[in-house]
Amino acid sequence: MTIRNMIQTTVFGGVATLALIAGAQAAPEDLVAAAKAEGQLTVIALPRDWCGYGALLDSFKAKYGIKINELNPDGGSGDEVEAIKANKTNKGPQAPDVIDVGLSFGPSAKAEGLLQPYKVSTWGSIPDEAKDADGYWAGDYYGVLSFTVNADIVKTPPADWSDLGKPEYKSGVALAGDPRTSNQATMAVYAAGLAGGATDAAKAASDGLAAFAELNKKGNLVPAIGKAASLAQGSTPIVIFWDYNGLAARDAAKDNPKIDVIVPKSGVVAGVYVQAISAYAPHPNAAKLWLEHLYSDEGQIGWLKGYCHPIRFNDLVANKKVPAEALAKLPPAESYAKAKFPTLAEQAAAKEVIAKQWDSVVGATVAK
Amino acid sequence: MTRGRILAWGIMLAGTLYYLAPLIATFEFSLRMKRGVYSFEAYRVVFSNNQFQDAFLYSVVQALATIVVGAAIVAPTAYFVRLRLPRLRGLVEFITLLPLVVPAIVLVFGYIKLFSSSSYLPLTSTSLGADALLMFGYVALSLPYMYRAVDSSLSTIDVRTLTEAAESLGAGTATILLRVILPNIRSGILSGAFVSFAIVIGEFTFASLLDRPAFGPYLQLIGASRAYEPSALAMMAFALTWGCMGLMQAFSGGAHQTAKR
Amino acid sequence: MRLPWREGLGVAPFFVFAALFLIVPTVSLLVGAFQDKDGGFTLDNIVRLWQPSILNSYKLSIEISVASALAGALAGFVLALAALRGGLPGWVRPTLMTFSGVASNFAGVPLAFAFMATLGRLGFVTLALRGLGVDIYAAGFNLFTFSGLTLTYCYFQIPLMTLVMAPAIEGLKREWSEAAETLGASHLQYWRMVALPVLWPSLAGAALLLFANAFGAVATAYALTGSFLNITPILLYAQIRGDVLHDPNLGYALALGMLVITGASNLGYLALRARSDRWLR
Repeated sequence: MTIRNMIQTTVFGGVATLALIAGAQAAPEDLVAAAKAEGQLTVIALPRDWCGYGALLDSFKAKYGIKINELNPDGGSGDEVEAIKANKTNKGPQAPDVIDVGLSFGPSAKAEGLLQPYKVSTWGSIPDEAKDADGYWAGDYYGVLSFTVNADIVKTPPADWSDLGKPEYKSGVALAGDPRTSNQATMAVYAAGLAGGATDAAKAASDGLAAFAELNKKGNLVPAIGKAASLAQGSTPIVIFWDYNGLAARDAAKDNPKIDVIVPKSGVVAGVYVQAISAYAPHPNAAKLWLEHLYSDEGQIGWLKGYCHPIRFNDLVANKKVPAEALAKLPPAESYAKAKFPTLAEQAAAKEVIAKQWDSVVGATVAK
Repeated sequence: MTRGRILAWGIMLAGTLYYLAPLIATFEFSLRMKRGVYSFEAYRVVFSNNQFQDAFLYSVVQALATIVVGAAIVAPTAYFVRLRLPRLRGLVEFITLLPLVVPAIVLVFGYIKLFSSSSYLPLTSTSLGADALLMFGYVALSLPYMYRAVDSSLSTIDVRTLTEAAESLGAGTATILLRVILPNIRSGILSGAFVSFAIVIGEFTFASLLDRPAFGPYLQLIGASRAYEPSALAMMAFALTWGCMGLMQAFSGGAHQTAKR
Repeated sequence: MRLPWREGLGVAPFFVFAALFLIVPTVSLLVGAFQDKDGGFTLDNIVRLWQPSILNSYKLSIEISVASALAGALAGFVLALAALRGGLPGWVRPTLMTFSGVASNFAGVPLAFAFMATLGRLGFVTLALRGLGVDIYAAGFNLFTFSGLTLTYCYFQIPLMTLVMAPAIEGLKREWSEAAETLGASHLQYWRMVALPVLWPSLAGAALLLFANAFGAVATAYALTGSFLNITPILLYAQIRGDVLHDPNLGYALALGMLVITGASNLGYLALRARSDRWLR
């Protein structure tokens, strides 16, 4: 079944199992005690502005009085996995307890024996395709790729992938990462290909590469990595970000400059991140409590306030748990109606093509 | 003005323009936080975080320790290689180039594995141990620059003659190093010290993965995905580091009486 | 060769330090280069280095490192000479030295951003020049190219050269230039026959340092021209750190290649030095 079917089924399932879920909301008492006894939690690669993690970390600290060590907020999914491996024998505060990584890293880390299973109390309301059956990892939030536009510089924002090639966007479009390294950038290329109508993942990937090659030839593509600062300064007035990153940048800029976050009309790709506990975690109970915190209604809405769609979104909406103001700040729900959730196999196929061929197809000749 | 002096001023001017342009651009951008007006709003936001002083102080202390340990390791080595063990030069210099080419993340993961809480030297399990580990990591990072600067300085003094003269006066090796060689290579050590200081203040990867409260991770924390704050931070870090170096320069006193030629 | 014990003791701290904090971590990298995903021995990673994209990346890395090392060495040396020997007021030297100290480590995202804010399409200098009627972009300049990146790299290469050469330049004894003058040598002859040969080993060593510095630099290149300039450290990072490729063993093989190239340049420098040392003696 497709993810969309799964989510629709879950909506009905959520209503039906409301009573069960409500009863299992509160974290078990003995877990809280055990976690407090451990006294610390070590997280990695969680920027405070990403999905409102700052507020979630602070609320966890305030609620349970557990100290949190925040390692390497700049890290990528690869860093998180390497950190677990490097700290196998280390029980100090350098060893990550939990990781938040791209979808494909869940199964691969499990295969390498780096994770331990734990099913949170709200496990039932997490869509099946977004979690590991044995409980080793579970999807935590998702977002869709969007055009984040500096509205002071770009007078008419692009509405779709095909618009990016217009002459008015010369030297205007940037990716938020390197497509050979960053999930966000790879999915952007994939999305461009999907917009062209391809359905097969590998074909969409090569179509996307061709689209970006075209953008580069026209001079519309800026090679720099797009960030909030370069967006505001003007060197990268259009950045292809996850919607939550774009919206966070919009908020941080406070209308200076005015930033618009636009979900493209076609080629809407959703990226799911997954949460997992390290098999070598020095503070496993604190880790489990953290997961309970994140997957509780409070935690999921915390992510929503950070503009990420929490994995239990449909369940929360069905139970009317979402505050209206939070919903209002998100892009309109219709934009998400056509969101494609690539499966693990599709992601792997797309990445394979994009990472290997980016240089030859797009970045071919380097101007001297 | 002699032709030489005009040329010198010309070169300095060109250099100054090249160095200052990016700084002016960054500064100008950092003032733009409030729409339409220039203001220090970005700086206010950055300063309002009270971890600033602690993080900066921590890194300054680490930097000073790094310089002392680094110089203590490098100076005798450069001296002996030059004087008596010239065959080791190639090996020593290759080792000093390693930190430039081996990615920092590989090094720090190597340290964690080597000094993990279940190893012979569990540096990672205590706060002081992790501080020491971080300092040694910094020494490793600044090694290439410290070594090159000290070696460059040594090349200008006649090490052999000085050593023989001192020995004929009855000095032991330690005395020669401390009282004869060291004063003559002060400018080299100072150059190395400057680079080491800057490296430690700005370093992020080691400090973050070893979970130490240094300035680098603090800069990341505040500035990561913001628009204007990173520029304000860059400017402040630049100014503060420059100020500290000015202090170091002042304290080093007569390291370059030679300048007055 | 029997190692004299006193000297051995003198260099021992260095080797102990190097062993613990440089060599052992590097060895794990070297070992990893010859391992596959499950830890078994394989030469596959090394073999895979021989693809056009990877070989090109080494070539490009070397090119950029040589370009920025030569440009930085020349500019840095000239700047140091001007400040130290140009007859300038006394405050110039300490100001330049301390500034160079800070600038030598100004790299990565802040530097890339600073250059974008200066010479990007909407950059401070670009706009100022446009106001004066000069459009550098119309003339073909682009920051996001090889030359743009080299220009950016020079921001930390030049001060590094200045700092490293300053002690050597100051070490040039006054007596020598005076003696040369009394013997009737012109300024140029003094430089060609006395000063440069003396400074030459330090110059070469400093240039090698600049080369290795640029060779291993990744943050600046990544931030400025991230997905376009295919340099080896970026590829390395993509394998070790990235979300997408994540084949650490290939990453280690790439690092091994970089170590080999650095080692080779070091050997080249030593050969040059041996020749000049013979001359000096």
